[in-house]
Amino acid sequence: MVLMIDTTIKHIGKQIAEELLHNGGNPAALELIDTAGMNISHCVGCNYCWLKTPGICAIKDDYTPILKKMSKADQVWLISDTHFGFLSYQTKNIVDRVMPLVTMYLKFKDGQMRHVMRYDHQPDIGIIYTGDGDQAYLERWCGRTALNFGSSSLGVFPAENRKEAVLCML
Amino acid sequence: MHVVIINGSPRVQKYSNTDKIIASFAKGLSKKGASFETYAISNRKSWEIIRDAYIKNEEILIALPLYVECIPGLLLEFLETLPRKNEHTRISFLLQSGFAEGCQLRCGEEFLAKLPEYLGVRYGGCLVKGDNFGIRLLNEEKQEQITKPYQAMGELFTEGDGFLREEAKKFTGPEYFPLPVRLIMQLVFKTFGKKMFQKAAASWGCAVPLDKKIWG
Repeated sequence: MVLMIDTTIKHIGKQIAEELLHNGGNPAALELIDTAGMNISHCVGCNYCWLKTPGICAIKDDYTPILKKMSKADQVWLISDTHFGFLSYQTKNIVDRVMPLVTMYLKFKDGQMRHVMRYDHQPDIGIIYTGDGDQAYLERWCGRTALNFGSSSLGVFPAENRKEAVLCML
Repeated sequence: MHVVIINGSPRVQKYSNTDKIIASFAKGLSKKGASFETYAISNRKSWEIIRDAYIKNEEILIALPLYVECIPGLLLEFLETLPRKNEHTRISFLLQSGFAEGCQLRCGEEFLAKLPEYLGVRYGGCLVKGDNFGIRLLNEEKQEQITKPYQAMGELFTEGDGFLREEAKKFTGPEYFPLPVRLIMQLVFKTFGKKMFQKAAASWGCAVPLDKKIWG
């Protein structure tokens, strides 16, 4: 399943989803979440999802169903505006709150400390961004973040190159 | 020297590891005759006061935990509300994390190194240090002990070069652990480490395995 999470002010996710379907994408294997109007808090770092109620976020808001979908998706596409060359805070909040998918337990992988993931299946992660994003930095960040989840980066694409991103979704 | 220290952690101050690190760092400032004021962004109600301190002062230190390879979403949101300033203002950063090795924080550090230019101000360097997850799990006395090395960094800061100093670079510790160390730690993670975390969890009222699957 391809999951797109769109936090952009111009709601560009809809257009990208249409392009994917136009290119032969399977509508049953696509889900677009536009976060406009949704109540999604930032992560408050309480560690409850690791130590008190493992796998369950203490914050009850509109993020809960998003997290469940992320855990089952094959691809998660963050569709984001940019600020300081990076993702918008709205998108970063969504990423920060994936911690229930991670356990407290640690291991070494490729010479670095990693958390043991809670589920066997991990989604690959890609970014489509609007505005003046720092392409090289976003690529580094996306690669590192995927590494944390034991998955792969799907790539980072400015919105005008979204057709290339769509090809990675098929 | 007068330093405005902003705690960029979203966690409530009482349980904030960054808060304990700041307290030790600030002791070092005081020891060398520098003054400081501290703020925490975790309470949104104080944002206007913090912004005001940021505008009126020229020596700013933002201390923060690493959140998914970069800065916490809440701190990003706060930074978006800051007005542009000029090069008379300098921002330095203290980036800390749970993961222990230096390599874990470099992606976050790169963002912080580029951030001052977006804000129009000068960059004073970034002190990078991992292995801080457990601070909140310790009692007050042990917290003071474990954060003591930051005091020397506070003293160093008063010399005026921010963290753009060899001593600050060395403070990070190993970039990667050597293989024999990793093998020993891996063994500890699988045995004693697991038990220790399960024990910490039990003291928080958790009665289920920490790797419990919620969804099939």
